[in-house]
Amino acid sequence: MTSSALYENVRMSLRSIRANKVRAFLTALGVMIGTGAVIAMLALGAGAQKSVESSLESLGSNLLLLYSGQPKGGSLVRRSTTNIVPTITEADVEAIKALGPELVALTAPESSASGQAKFGNTSMTVTIVGTDIDYPSIRNIRPVAGDFFLTSDVDSRKAVVVIGAQLYDDLFGGTGDPVGQKLRLNGLSYRVAGMMERKGNTTTDSSVFIPISTYQRYISGAKEFALVNIQAGNSDQMREAQSAIESTLLRLHKIPNMDAADFYVANQLDLLDTLQGVAGTFTLLLGGIAAISLIVGGIGIMNIMLVSVTERTREIGVRMALGAKTNDIIAQFMTEAIILSVGGGLIGVAIGVGSSYAFSLWGGLASTVEPFSVALSFGFSLVIGLVFGGYPAYRASQLDPIEALRYE
Amino acid sequence: MIEVSSLSRHYTMGPTVVKAVDDISFTIQSGEFVAIVGPSGSGKTSLMNILGCLDSPTAGSYQLAGEETSKLKKDQLAEIRSRRIGFVFQSFNLLPRESALENVELPMIYQGVSRKTRRERALAMLKKVGLDGREGHLPSELSGGQRQRVAIARALAGEPSILLADEPTGALDTKTGIEIMELFHTLHRDGATLILVTHDPKVARQAHRVIQVQDGRILADVPAGEWQL
Repeated sequence: MTSSALYENVRMSLRSIRANKVRAFLTALGVMIGTGAVIAMLALGAGAQKSVESSLESLGSNLLLLYSGQPKGGSLVRRSTTNIVPTITEADVEAIKALGPELVALTAPESSASGQAKFGNTSMTVTIVGTDIDYPSIRNIRPVAGDFFLTSDVDSRKAVVVIGAQLYDDLFGGTGDPVGQKLRLNGLSYRVAGMMERKGNTTTDSSVFIPISTYQRYISGAKEFALVNIQAGNSDQMREAQSAIESTLLRLHKIPNMDAADFYVANQLDLLDTLQGVAGTFTLLLGGIAAISLIVGGIGIMNIMLVSVTERTREIGVRMALGAKTNDIIAQFMTEAIILSVGGGLIGVAIGVGSSYAFSLWGGLASTVEPFSVALSFGFSLVIGLVFGGYPAYRASQLDPIEALRYE
Repeated sequence: MIEVSSLSRHYTMGPTVVKAVDDISFTIQSGEFVAIVGPSGSGKTSLMNILGCLDSPTAGSYQLAGEETSKLKKDQLAEIRSRRIGFVFQSFNLLPRESALENVELPMIYQGVSRKTRRERALAMLKKVGLDGREGHLPSELSGGQRQRVAIARALAGEPSILLADEPTGALDTKTGIEIMELFHTLHRDGATLILVTHDPKVARQAHRVIQVQDGRILADVPAGEWQL
C-alpha cells in the first residue's frame, strides 16, 4: 500500500465513522472500557505488590521470626503474640546467638500483652511490648525523639518506656516533648525515654516498648518469650539460619521433628514470596477479567464491521468495478476497524490511567501504572482491531463484483 | 481494440445449462461507437460483464487492447478494469459520502496516481462534462443528469481504452437523457471508444454500429443507419 493509498483509506474510514458517529462510538466504547479496565486492574495489582514489598521491607532486613506455639502449615503471616503461651527460654536465645554472627547477627526477644496506658487524664488500651535493645536495628525502626532504652535499663529492670508515634498523638495530643514525661502502664509509672518513628503500621505505631526484664517482672511474670526477632547474618543465608535455629531448638526442647515442635520460624523471604504470590494471582485475575472485556469489545468491532460490509455491498461492487483489488478492499475495511480499536484503545489508556490515579487519590488503594501495562493493553487493542477487523474485511474482498453491484 | 471470438458464458442451474452468451464473435475498432441492444434476458448483460472484465467467459477468447483476458484471475481482471475500462451505470453508483471531485478521483486512487495529479485530472474531467463549479457537491446535491455526468467523468478519469455504459439514460427523463447522449457524441468525436448497452432501440440507433443480441447470439451486427428491428 502506497502512502497515498493509506492516506485515502484513513480519510475514507474517518468519513464513514463520522457518518455513523453514535454507532462508531458505541463500538469503540467496548475497546475503551476493555483497555481502561486492563490498565486500571494491572495498576491495582502492581500497587498491591509494591505495598506488600514496602511493608515487608519496613519490617526489617534479613528478618527471621521465631514464634512460640505450634507451626501451622503454610501460615507465615505474622500473628498476634498476645495470646500465645510463650515457650522460648533465655537459654534458647543464648543457643541461637551461639550459632555465630555468620548466621545470626542480632536477636531481640519479644513478648506482648494488652494493657492500660494513662497520661494525665487520658487513658487507653495499648499493646505493651517487652523487648531488648536490638529491636530497633532488627525491625528497622528508629526513635525520632529521645532514645530507645539501653542495656543498663534492661539489666536493672528500669521502668522506662518508648512510645509509638500513634500513641504520641492519642495520649499526648501530638504536642510537646514526650521525653522525660511520666506514663502509667497498668498503674505503674514509667519514664518516657523516647518516641519511635511512624511506620504506617497500626500495631507498631500504637505499641509501647519496655525492657523485656521489666516486662517479665511487672506485666507477664513468665520467664519465656512469645517471639524472638532475629536478624540473619546476610540475605543469602536466611534459609541456613532458619534450619540451624530449628535444629538447635528441637535439640534443646527434646522434640524429634518440626511437626511436633512447640515453636516455628517464619522467614521474611517466605513471607515475601507468599504475599507476592497472592498479589500476583490477584493481578492476574483482575487483568484476566479485564482482558475478557477487551475481547468482548473486539467482538463488538467485528459485529459492526460485518454490518458495515453488508450495508456497503454496493459501494464495494462499485470500487471493484473501478479497479479495486482484493487487497485494496481489505485495506479499506481493516483501516476502519483499526481506527475504531486504536481510537478506543487510546481513549481507554486515558481512562485507565485516570481511574488508577482516582483509585489512589480517592479510593485509598495503592495503584501504580506501569508503562508496560499501557503498552500491553494498547498493543492488545491494536491486535484486536487486526484480528476482529480481518474477517469482515476478508468477507468484503471476496464479494463478487457483479452480485455486489446488483445489491439493493 | 476488442476482439471477441467464439465467446460463451454458460451457467449451470441444476440439470439445465443456461447459455447466456453462446458462441459470439465480433471485433470493435478503436474509436467506434457501438450499441449492444437486446431485450432483458437476451444475454446482453452477461456479455457486458465479460467485456467489462467483471466476469470470465466459460469458453472462447476475449482480447482487449491486445491482452487475452479470458483466463485471468480475480486481481488480474481488477487490474485490467483499472487500466482499460470506464464504467457508466444506469443508477450512477456514485459513493454518496464523497464529493463529485472525490468520486472522480476514485479510479485513479486504485491506479496509484499521485494526489496532485489526481486532483488536476479530476478537475479537468469535471470541466469536460460541464460540471466545473460543482466539484465540492455531494451526489445528493446534484440532479440526475449532473450525477450521470459525474459518473461519466469518473469513468473517463482513469484514461480507459473503452467506455462501457450500461443503460446510461435509463434512470433519466427524456430531456436529460438526450443531453447525456450528446455528451457521449462529444466524447466519441474526441476519439473515445464507446460501448453502449441498452434495451431501448431509440438509444441504440444513436450509436454508429448496432450489435443486436438475442438468446445469447448475435442477431444483427450492422451500421446504425441500416439497422431495423
